[in-house]
Amino acid sequence: MSGIVYRSLIQLSSRAALTSGCGSFVATPVRQSHWFSSVLSLKSSAPLRAEPKKKKKVDPRRELLVKERLKKKLKKLEKVPPELIPVEDFITPVHCFDKTRIRSNPLLSFEESERRDLLLKEWSRYKHSQHQAEMTAIKDAIDAQKQALEELKMESEDLYKAAVSPDTNLFPFTHQGPCYTPPIPNYDPPDGKYNDITRVYTQ
Amino acid sequence: MAALCWRSASRPLWQIIARQGTLKAGVRNLSSSTQRWCAQKLRAVNSPSPWVLHGAVCLQRLPVISQDRNPIEEQFLDLLQQLEQEKSMLSDHELRLLLDSDRLSRKQEADYGSDDEDYESQDIVTAQDLEDAWEQKLKQFKPALRIKASDNTDVSSSECFLGDSLVLLVKQDVGHQNVWLLPQLQWEAGETLRQTAERALSSLPGAELKATFLGNSPCGFYKYQFPKNVQTESRIGAKVFFFKSLLSGGDCSSLQKDSFAWVRKDELQDYLKPKYLKQVKRFILNL
Repeated sequence: MSGIVYRSLIQLSSRAALTSGCGSFVATPVRQSHWFSSVLSLKSSAPLRAEPKKKKKVDPRRELLVKERLKKKLKKLEKVPPELIPVEDFITPVHCFDKTRIRSNPLLSFEESERRDLLLKEWSRYKHSQHQAEMTAIKDAIDAQKQALEELKMESEDLYKAAVSPDTNLFPFTHQGPCYTPPIPNYDPPDGKYNDITRVYTQ
Repeated sequence: MAALCWRSASRPLWQIIARQGTLKAGVRNLSSSTQRWCAQKLRAVNSPSPWVLHGAVCLQRLPVISQDRNPIEEQFLDLLQQLEQEKSMLSDHELRLLLDSDRLSRKQEADYGSDDEDYESQDIVTAQDLEDAWEQKLKQFKPALRIKASDNTDVSSSECFLGDSLVLLVKQDVGHQNVWLLPQLQWEAGETLRQTAERALSSLPGAELKATFLGNSPCGFYKYQFPKNVQTESRIGAKVFFFKSLLSGGDCSSLQKDSFAWVRKDELQDYLKPKYLKQVKRFILNL
């Protein structure tokens, strides 16, 4: 209550000061505020000059509403799932369906087709025998290892445990496989130039 | 156990209750006696065995080049290539070759009008020229030879027979006999057998061989008895445990020429004794 009275007193005093201040400078055309127009200038008030009024309550609410509407629209757009990146291996390129690219193969004679079929059968027999040989060799090696471990167990438990424990230094294990020709010592291979045309997709 | 139960059944109740404790004690006694028997068996095992332990290394040099093809493999490869050619479509390069040959044949005809020609799609360098240039470039590259001249003669080099996997054999003195075998050393207390094998490899005089051992467990074993005059109660014979390893570098050219050899699996029988060979052949894979 006292605070309100105090504030009202201050407002009165400020208005009094303004009026007194304006009263002393009434002769100059400079206006202290647009509420107090000078005597010499045209008697025009703010609405006649068509300046925008400061609407303190409704405008922020309107802006908030506009922002919310925009956010809702954004959410609707974002609900659409992102487009999947195409796997280029699965898409047959168009030039594969070009009819000018079909080979004109001569028809196979009866002898040729017979030869091919017989060769395929012989190949399957050869591969089967090779597979059998591989399997027996592997089985022999595994049996030899089992027997060695049993004998070692009979000898001493400690050595057996050490033998059965896994070797952590073995993996990762790399070995260069056989090529067609042996490697040339001190060979300096030429640098390969290439243009990388892979397409990079971003979601 | 059954006898104890009968005895308890014939007694009056209070004695049975009193006996419960003794029954359990009886059971405990039985189990403790079995434990004692097991401990005795273990102690029997822990007592030094009559076999002397040796660790040996089976060092393999894996093939460096691919093997030659069998006749049937050659035929099948040709067939596969033919099938692939027949089922395929013409590539860009082949199309260009065809177009160029068409254009050439058209040029050589009598009624050739150069105005009909489509000059924009022509290239100065034809596809055939490109092919010739590529062939010339390939001829400039000289690959190393697959078969070396010293193939059949030099057994002590690891460079011969590049298409097969080779095993290192060493001539060692074993029981007053100079014998070809896989490098082996006697096991010493305090080390694992794999360490013995590693020691055996590194102790070869003059050899700087780098090998990767494949695992801690032995791949095979061989046991032999000492001759009667050397046998004692604690040393009847020896057990040799083999460990597999792959050669990863280094050479052994500084070893004596006749004391070691790189041998293929088929030639092992020329070097090793029959019983030894039989055991060793099981774990040397020639795949």
